[in-house]
Amino acid sequence: MKRIWHHPEPLKTGRRYWRSLAEHENAPEFQESLGREFDSSMEGMSDGERENSRRDFMKIMGGAAALSGLSLVSCRRPLAKVVPFAKHVEWIIPGKPLLYTTIIPRAWGATPVVVTTHEGRPTHLQANFLHPLAGGLDIFAQASILDLYNPDRVKGLTYRKTTGDAAEAGVSSDWTAFQSQLAEWSKAWVASSGAGLALLFNESVSPTQARLLSEIKKSLPKAKVYSYEPVRRSASAAAVKSVFGEGVKLLPQLGKANVVFSLDCDFLGLDPQSENAILDFMKNRAPGKSSDKMNRLYVIENRYTLTGGVSDHRKPLAAALLPMAAAVLADEIGKLTGDSALSESSRNLSSVAGAAKLRPWLATAAKDLFANKGKAIVLAGSTYGEEVHALVAGINNALAAFGSTIDLLKVESETTNTIEDLQSDLKAKIIKNLFVLTETDPVYDALGFAESLKVCGAEVVKLAQRDNATVKLANWTLPSAHYLESWGDARSSDGTYAIVQPMIQPLFNGISVNELLLAIAGKKELAPKKVEAPAPGAAPTAPISDIAYEAVKETFKVISGGWDEEKWNLTLRDGFLVKSSYPKAGASFNGSVITAAVKKASPAQEPDKDSFEIVITADATVWDGRYTENPWLQEAPDPITKLTWDNAAWLSPKTFRALGLKSVRYENSKIKVTIGGKTLEIVALECPGHAHNSITIPLGYGQKLANIVGNDRGFDVNALRSDSTSFVLTGAKVEASTELYELAITQDTYTMEARAQVREGTQERFIKDEKFAATEGMDSHIPPANLALYKGRVGKKQNTNPEAEDYNPEGFDYENNHQWGMVIDLAKCIGCSACIVACQSENNIAIVGKDQVRRGRVMQWIRMDRYFATTDSVDSDPSLEELDNPEMIHQPVACQQCESAPCETVCPVNATVHTEDGLNAMAYNRCIGTRYCANNCPFTARRFNFFDYNKRNPLVETELPIVGKVRNLYAGPLGEKKPQEVVQLQKNPNVTVRMRGVIEKCTYCVQRLEAAKINQRRVARDDASKLRIAADSVKTACQASCPAEAIMFGDLANEKSTVNVWKENPRNYQVLKYLGIRPRTSYLARIRNVNPEMASVENDRVRKTGEASLYNF
Amino acid sequence: MGNFFPRWTNWLPLKLAVCLGFVVVGAVVGATYYLTPKYYRVGYEPTQPVPFSHKKHVGEVGLDCRYCHSFVEVSSHSNVPTNQTCYNCHGPDKGQVKKESPKLALVREADKTGVPIQWTKVHKTPDFAYFNHSVHVNRGVSCQNCHGQINEMEVVKHAEPHSMGWCLDCHRNPENKLRPLDQITNLTYKPEQLNRDAFYASLKDKGIKEEQVVKTLLGLKQEDALPADAPKDWGKVVELAAKTYGPSVTQKEVGTQLKDHWRVAPPETCAACHR
Repeated sequence: MKRIWHHPEPLKTGRRYWRSLAEHENAPEFQESLGREFDSSMEGMSDGERENSRRDFMKIMGGAAALSGLSLVSCRRPLAKVVPFAKHVEWIIPGKPLLYTTIIPRAWGATPVVVTTHEGRPTHLQANFLHPLAGGLDIFAQASILDLYNPDRVKGLTYRKTTGDAAEAGVSSDWTAFQSQLAEWSKAWVASSGAGLALLFNESVSPTQARLLSEIKKSLPKAKVYSYEPVRRSASAAAVKSVFGEGVKLLPQLGKANVVFSLDCDFLGLDPQSENAILDFMKNRAPGKSSDKMNRLYVIENRYTLTGGVSDHRKPLAAALLPMAAAVLADEIGKLTGDSALSESSRNLSSVAGAAKLRPWLATAAKDLFANKGKAIVLAGSTYGEEVHALVAGINNALAAFGSTIDLLKVESETTNTIEDLQSDLKAKIIKNLFVLTETDPVYDALGFAESLKVCGAEVVKLAQRDNATVKLANWTLPSAHYLESWGDARSSDGTYAIVQPMIQPLFNGISVNELLLAIAGKKELAPKKVEAPAPGAAPTAPISDIAYEAVKETFKVISGGWDEEKWNLTLRDGFLVKSSYPKAGASFNGSVITAAVKKASPAQEPDKDSFEIVITADATVWDGRYTENPWLQEAPDPITKLTWDNAAWLSPKTFRALGLKSVRYENSKIKVTIGGKTLEIVALECPGHAHNSITIPLGYGQKLANIVGNDRGFDVNALRSDSTSFVLTGAKVEASTELYELAITQDTYTMEARAQVREGTQERFIKDEKFAATEGMDSHIPPANLALYKGRVGKKQNTNPEAEDYNPEGFDYENNHQWGMVIDLAKCIGCSACIVACQSENNIAIVGKDQVRRGRVMQWIRMDRYFATTDSVDSDPSLEELDNPEMIHQPVACQQCESAPCETVCPVNATVHTEDGLNAMAYNRCIGTRYCANNCPFTARRFNFFDYNKRNPLVETELPIVGKVRNLYAGPLGEKKPQEVVQLQKNPNVTVRMRGVIEKCTYCVQRLEAAKINQRRVARDDASKLRIAADSVKTACQASCPAEAIMFGDLANEKSTVNVWKENPRNYQVLKYLGIRPRTSYLARIRNVNPEMASVENDRVRKTGEASLYNF
Repeated sequence: MGNFFPRWTNWLPLKLAVCLGFVVVGAVVGATYYLTPKYYRVGYEPTQPVPFSHKKHVGEVGLDCRYCHSFVEVSSHSNVPTNQTCYNCHGPDKGQVKKESPKLALVREADKTGVPIQWTKVHKTPDFAYFNHSVHVNRGVSCQNCHGQINEMEVVKHAEPHSMGWCLDCHRNPENKLRPLDQITNLTYKPEQLNRDAFYASLKDKGIKEEQVVKTLLGLKQEDALPADAPKDWGKVVELAAKTYGPSVTQKEVGTQLKDHWRVAPPETCAACHR
């Protein structure tokens, strides 16, 4: 029998926060699942489990125990070996991690990181806070370390005779064979001065790569270079070029802006503008007191993005109409600033009929922008056309943004050919040798590339990290090195130069792009040199010099202005070259080109039920598909939909229902999308806040030639496209299909009894009542002596005066111990989920696979709750209109380290106990898996290992006799049961790898805390005054990764700790405070800086009369 | 109808009971002997690939522990020396010793091939327990406390049980083991060898006040008030110590002083060792 725990009724505030549509509608299946630790319908025994009922289990276990007792094998001491180095290795101290700085080269810049290595194994990435553009790590950067240990990486060379024949298996080859082939080609290139040689890259900002390419082009002038990115940014670059001329780059300075207007530019999410854009934006977002100034964010977008979630005002608008919105905004700004040329140039798009509906909203926003002239900025999504970017440049110019909120940087102009040029060259058969040096998989993500390869007759070389579709069509497959295995360099978005340094020898013999370029230039021998062992007693031979390393040093020499050993060493140590950013450009604005750009665009119709629009975006977890083999990312829930392991067609609830689609327990209907003769069947998903008759489909899924992690996940939206440059497709026909598809969505698992625990308010309310968050709802009438049901030490130890009110001899010792605490600022948290992956990487958290996620067994310790807010009260019927544009807010929840913790009192074996520094500790080796603690945790922050996820790969299936294929987890003793060796290399040696039947949870990275304390005691030795670690000197993994610095952690007993400043913030509140369990983690309420003038024009945010005002939540 | 059971069965239950009793007693004794660290770990003395004698190097030559286990003061792990460390003395160069010794054949081979010697682990912490050497040796726990009289061992053997209870014995009562920091690697240390005056002078040098020392000597807590008749100067303090502990310095005396003034508070919570 499950005891139902009755919370007090939530107060009716006229505003309600909910996580899923089932919750919004109070669906019966949701009501039933409330308060259950796991969803009962899915937790029910599967076929495999039913075979071994509990009784059978006891029988078998009894027998097994008896048998094992007979054999006494366990009595023998296992023989263990100690293997020291033969020769000592510089810097390595066994048992201590070594940290190195490096950067992750990205298409748009370079993310500075610090790599933790344990005895030469990189295990964890953290942001490098020395770097001028340091700003945490995004989810892709954080997870990229697992790509290094992908067991299915390309491990050797393969040769296939015919180009473009996927059926041919290929024979394994070696570097010597490739080198001789390369030598042969070289002869031909030299003879023809490079004609027929083609190189395809992803976009990159690597100076060494650029230098090597220019060298190749110098000696082989007819060689051709092509570059591309599946998620294009070329239109914005083209607009900048036409407005400012060659060699100018725009870098938004969001920290300087008072008002930010985003035209579907997800600058906090999937459309990064610079490495530190999020941090920069958040500077004026989290007031410490009510008088602090805040910035304001307006967003227009067709679907909810993370940027939309943070916004103060948001308008869902079909993406096809976005150019029109840009034009209307330009028109309004032009009117306000008296820039009639701007108004005039927007006329073509702003004067169409549909614009009138938008105008009031945009005009009010434009007024706000104009009022903050010089401190305002307008951004547009990278994938939109040139007309949008030209208009935005015009608006920014009118708002005097250039030079104030947008820096103009002088960069080297480069012209490379596009992948479309390459395809026509391939079809024209003028290419003899094509080197595909992309990180991405062009056969999958560039339309028509496979067909071009089939007809080209060229010899194709693919440098690949993983086996993908292009590999299958290429003649030569070469293993590629991961960025943690190779020398390289890149510039950050402001131009700061940094070195990519290798952390480990290539695991699978791979080479980097630079090395291959050097080989093409004839400077590097790829065939391994035979190294003779030196004769005994002979002087050691000089190490073979690494040519890629020398090439990077050469570039460094050019950039830093001469060779300086010390400077080089400092650059390697700190992770960047000081003062190496791009100089400011003195470009002048040329507004006359805007008109032409706008004229070229034709105004679009609003999508309707006969003519849908399809919007293609990067995916929040696999980007354009390049991260598809990364299991952490596959299992990381999409921040908006909370969908794992798949993509889906996002629809507004109104459209979803109009199409007659069904969704029961996330078994959703499929839809059939037809556009220009191309069709795609894809599962549909309701997304509140989505524009109507618009469908968003993320890229990157539906790959057929990936490994078990990424293969056949979701649906490939490329099937609908006819060119790779457009991301908004119009005129689609959509039919409902009767077929259903199971989705693994985490938003209904681990609910906190449906009690929304986020708090937010408008700035107006914050000014009126600074401490509103601490006194909201139940917290307004908590009795002064609010004692918990559960025993435990609480508060600060105070035993000098028994008469005093705060006499508390049993409290926590703040004098002699550290007292850990955390604060999470919801005003800064955007919900990007980087912390989830950081935690996974630091704490050896297993992935469980789609099936287990559906059963509610996801293991991630941090749960990123995504709430929608609607203004209905609890008793009214939820209506569909409310879902048009609800507000969104994220809240990360992990173990709150309650002082009087409910979990501890129910543990029968004392496996979870409190430490003297206030942690709710877990002794995994003591846990027997009763799960009482998880049942008693009001935050549902505990996770149970239903299987040995680390040893049994949850993704594979096992072939059993008679029964047939069974999921490996359920195959019992017949299943595959060995950890993947390569993946094991990533594990943090300081954290236990948990096995089946054990509860696990966040412990504030206790391994880091213990290491810091131990280190401090080691340094203090006999000096008792130095036993306390320095304030803010230890960071948890989630804190160190957070790109918004929304998490603050530290020693509450140290008055210098920043965490104490945060705890004093008036916005501070505790979740479920009325239980009296005194969590050590608290939250800061979000403040929205609402523009009061918008109230009259924001008609899609439903408000019922007579209830609390929407603008005063 | 005859007797269904033959006569001998009358005694069968009793015989079975007696046998079972033996089995149970045997099992209990066996389990205690074989399955508790006190018995199954202590005395473990595997043969090492190179017959390195700690007795010779530490006991007779007088090498400090940290000459080979060089990172013990900074790392969680006390490293086993690299081959290079052996070669510091036993290398092929002029003036080095035992160049041709057959016992060192493996060391020479490892130097030539670069393939390290695989030593057999004697002291193994379980995977779920995280022990840190540096914090112990920097805070008054000697090598000898956990590893025994290494200086007398020809072949290293497990001297202490290293069980959780054994760890906690010391974590609860560290004063029974603590010693001055300059005595950590002195494997022949006895508290009686210490000079009392010098010991208290060293405390004084560290800025510790007379009254603090006196409180410890009197068994008071540091926050307690000092009795009126307590000695006030260092000479008197040493006298008081002699009166309390007898003519020679005792472990209890050293341990309690160090524990109080270094504020040694070994953690007893699970998270200290299990993560």
